[in-house]
Amino acid sequence: MRSEVIMLSPFDLVVSACLVLAAGFVSLALGLGLEKRLAIASARTVIQLLLIGFILRWVFAVDSPLVVIVILSVMLVVASRAAVQRPSRTFGGAAWRAFASLLLCGLATTFTVTAAIIHIEPWYQPQYLIPLLGMVLGNSLTGISLCLDHILNDLVCKRDQVEMELALGATRWEAARDIVRDSVSKGMIPIINTMMVVGVVSLPGMMTGQILSGTDPVEAVKYQIVVMFMIAAATSLGCIGVAILVFRHLFNDRHQLRAGLIRTR
Amino acid sequence: MLRVDRLSVEVPGKLLLNEVSLVVPPGQGVGLVGPSGCGKSTMLRTIAGLIDARGGTVQLGGVDRAAVGWPEFRRKAPYLSQVPSLVEGSVNQNLERPFTYRSASGGYEREKALRLLRAVGMDETCFSADVRSLSVGEQQRVCLVRALLAEPRFLLLDEPTSALDEENTGRVEALLLEEADRSGLGFLLVTHDREQAVRVCGSVLDLGDFKASSEVTG
Repeated sequence: MRSEVIMLSPFDLVVSACLVLAAGFVSLALGLGLEKRLAIASARTVIQLLLIGFILRWVFAVDSPLVVIVILSVMLVVASRAAVQRPSRTFGGAAWRAFASLLLCGLATTFTVTAAIIHIEPWYQPQYLIPLLGMVLGNSLTGISLCLDHILNDLVCKRDQVEMELALGATRWEAARDIVRDSVSKGMIPIINTMMVVGVVSLPGMMTGQILSGTDPVEAVKYQIVVMFMIAAATSLGCIGVAILVFRHLFNDRHQLRAGLIRTR
Repeated sequence: MLRVDRLSVEVPGKLLLNEVSLVVPPGQGVGLVGPSGCGKSTMLRTIAGLIDARGGTVQLGGVDRAAVGWPEFRRKAPYLSQVPSLVEGSVNQNLERPFTYRSASGGYEREKALRLLRAVGMDETCFSADVRSLSVGEQQRVCLVRALLAEPRFLLLDEPTSALDEENTGRVEALLLEEADRSGLGFLLVTHDREQAVRVCGSVLDLGDFKASSEVTG
């Protein structure tokens, strides 16, 4: 089954805006005070999505590897900045460590999928590469953010315990491994929760989009399975990567915890 | 022999300890006293290598601690903080903990643990107790037993009896002296109680006598 894609007119978008207007009226009626934020959020949604729509149309038309690489780099930088901004604590050099982790997990999983599963030709075909990397980064940055938040909090709150273990003869890894393990596991919770209920409670956006654009649901499901596995692999790789990089930075080769480097925002 | 030679420690903006030297012979205790804030705890943490010294050396048996290997050095000369620190779980899990480290030598001996626990006024019923259910004084004693179980050559003790009553203080002191006699354990004891230092240590060093310059000059 493959039905025609129903093209949306500007009028259709205006009608959909009525839904947000309705939400605004509810907010006004109940005195929730959300109208202004709702209006700003709606305007941002329209502007940001239209902008990316036109940019993607241009990128697809130009079909240049250099342009794709620039886009991917911008996505990576923005994602790594977002990943380090959410945790309540930070340290000098957190951003490049998040960047390195996202680079590793994002490129490794995305290129595995595009090269070994979808077999895109040429390798930089933006129609596949950009949305796939976008999904990987969007999910991995949440995991990395949670992992970072947890590891930094624990190293501050459990500093006495970590130093006690070091003082009794533990190596830095022996003193930190429980915290590292917990942090990676915390970072993985959202994607594991999503995988548990996918298809039952929620239909993922990408799959919904494919179905709406006329793809056979089973074909859309196949793509979604690949994407879920890709995101799960990327999130675990990203969390492990960032946890190891943080561990290597905050414990020196004298097996000391350098908790003084961690600062609260 | 634990030899500390001209150890200097800097805290932000000032030199807290300036070229402090001391020797802890095997089988003996050295008391470290001095007014609050003079750097007694910092001295122990620095000897343990948990914080860096600005200068000076620490040797164990004539070998620099870095050459001994940091985990190995700390296993042989563990530091016990004033505030007892235990991992979540039972007393038994805490006593076994150091034997899970790569630096551990030998295995955990429950009988030996029981002997040490009894020596500090506790008994076998506490093995299964959750450490959170213990008083601070009991936690302090569990920490001491945990450190002694691994057969250290020296102990760096930061006010190990600060939360104990007179009777249990006496037990801890007796155990330290007994271990010094039995296994040649040496210890560096930070205490506010000068009388205690004199009672259990062969020599007492007043850290207040080491005048540190107030400003870092170089």
